[in-house]
Amino acid sequence: MSSYTIPVGPLHVALEEPMYFRVEAQGEMVVGLDITAGHVHRGIEALAMTRNFYQNITLTERLCSLCSNSHPSTYCMALENLASIRIPERAEYLRVIADEIKRVASNLFNCAILGHIIGFDSLFKHVMETREIMQDVKETIYGNRMDLAANCIGGVKYDLDEERSKYLWQQMERMKKHLDEIYALYCKNSFVRLRTEGVGVLSKEDALRFAVVGPVARGSGIDYDVRQKSPYAAYDRLDFEVQTENGGDVLCRAKVRLREAQQAVRLIQQCVTDMPAGPTCIDTPPEIPAGEAIAKSEAPRGELIYYLRTDGSDIPERLKWRVPSYMNWDALKSMLVGDKISDIALIVNSIDPCISCTER
Amino acid sequence: MFSFLKILVRNLIQGPSTDPFPFGETFTPEGLRGRVRFDASACVGCRMCEHVCAGGAIRFEQSESELRFTLWHNSCTFCGLCQHYCKTKAIVLTEDWHLSHRQEEKYAMVEQGTVPLAPCLGCGISMIPVADELMRVAYRETNQDIDRLRRLCPDCRRKLGIKGVQRCKM
Ligand code: SF4
Ligand code: SF4
Repeated sequence: MSSYTIPVGPLHVALEEPMYFRVEAQGEMVVGLDITAGHVHRGIEALAMTRNFYQNITLTERLCSLCSNSHPSTYCMALENLASIRIPERAEYLRVIADEIKRVASNLFNCAILGHIIGFDSLFKHVMETREIMQDVKETIYGNRMDLAANCIGGVKYDLDEERSKYLWQQMERMKKHLDEIYALYCKNSFVRLRTEGVGVLSKEDALRFAVVGPVARGSGIDYDVRQKSPYAAYDRLDFEVQTENGGDVLCRAKVRLREAQQAVRLIQQCVTDMPAGPTCIDTPPEIPAGEAIAKSEAPRGELIYYLRTDGSDIPERLKWRVPSYMNWDALKSMLVGDKISDIALIVNSIDPCISCTER
Repeated sequence: MFSFLKILVRNLIQGPSTDPFPFGETFTPEGLRGRVRFDASACVGCRMCEHVCAGGAIRFEQSESELRFTLWHNSCTFCGLCQHYCKTKAIVLTEDWHLSHRQEEKYAMVEQGTVPLAPCLGCGISMIPVADELMRVAYRETNQDIDRLRRLCPDCRRKLGIKGVQRCKM
């Protein structure tokens, strides 16, 4: 059979963000793949080097909408590492709460899109409606539905009073019921399984070879989670397990994400009960010496690394970050080859790609 | 399949989840980050808000007699950093999110204020008198002597301070 080349993207109905795939196909089957990025480059890395440390908190929060909290919190961690600032213990718990709230919303968004791509739009709507609970939580506690603006250098700039803690707890109880139901649906529903089981398989060997991270790695049986491997904020005091699946297909990645959402809800509740009273932020303006530092965290899509170099002024000399999608999109070459053309969008979605932060 | 039918029926009975806005009310939680308000009487002119603002939404212009504050809502990201770092809370984000406007009004979407300068009681140089809000942060209670400090420039305050120290030593 002769092979032919088809373009997919950069603008495509089922791709959430612009990316160009040059697909080599034989009949229905993908036999080769070339990925071209660079459609949404905004020059944010260069911009960060013209903004002072404070301004960059707001700038990094705008790299990506779905993991918007992971960026400023990791950036602040890099600054705090560099200046040897120990943030108050209450702030550590509050940072976990903010991160986990975003994780639930982000993972649900991805799993909802899965429903949309396989043509199961009532499932899509249902999962998005459940996610609305998290959106309302963000709006009520932080004052915005996407960008929480929770972080500042040396702590956080929000607090939970008794009333808000109670509200958060109640909403998490609501979420638990919905999440259990949704998880069971993805595991058992015959439509979902028919379209996702055995599709876009990434073997454990390939997962290691491509050094994938986050739910993509954990869906292929790699037990790696920054929250456990090198705990930051309050994660060393919280009780949770790294979620893994061994199948390496689209369904396994979705299951990992849904279980992580369930676990995030429990983590939030643990924080609400364990959080000590006290200040939420250091009370003197931070002094940032010249030097370099690294910080990393587990964003909803996987390991996020920040590198910061300073020269003693209040503007970073260099600020660079490596986002999880950078590692994950290369592995699409392994996932897509051998699968059907009609599953391309589904498989691309299963790595939960964030092009906006990868290309920044 | 049956399990999802159950959810569908339940969602159908529950009715729409969307708010009827703009024909009815919608949900606005306390603490929503919306339109910014500036209170010139509480501002001490430290310009920290301008320094931390990523959008460059805040500008100050100083003249002989006043310090003018302007904030462009179309450059503002509603991050709240200005409010966080303002010691006197002269700048705050309100819950008003009704910010849609016509293209021709885009330069009118501003918040403005003027902080008057006053002569220093000691040397007469023009300066911003310290706002009551900051005095409360610093001293909790004020008396006449402390109140006089408000209207002294930093140099004259320092001189007064040294005199006080000398008096104590004697
Ligand atoms: S508004 Fe607040 S932060 Fe800005 S100059 Fe006035 S006192 Fe300083
Ligand atoms: S809310 Fe943020 S962007 Fe808006 S004026 Fe304040 S610091 Fe600037």
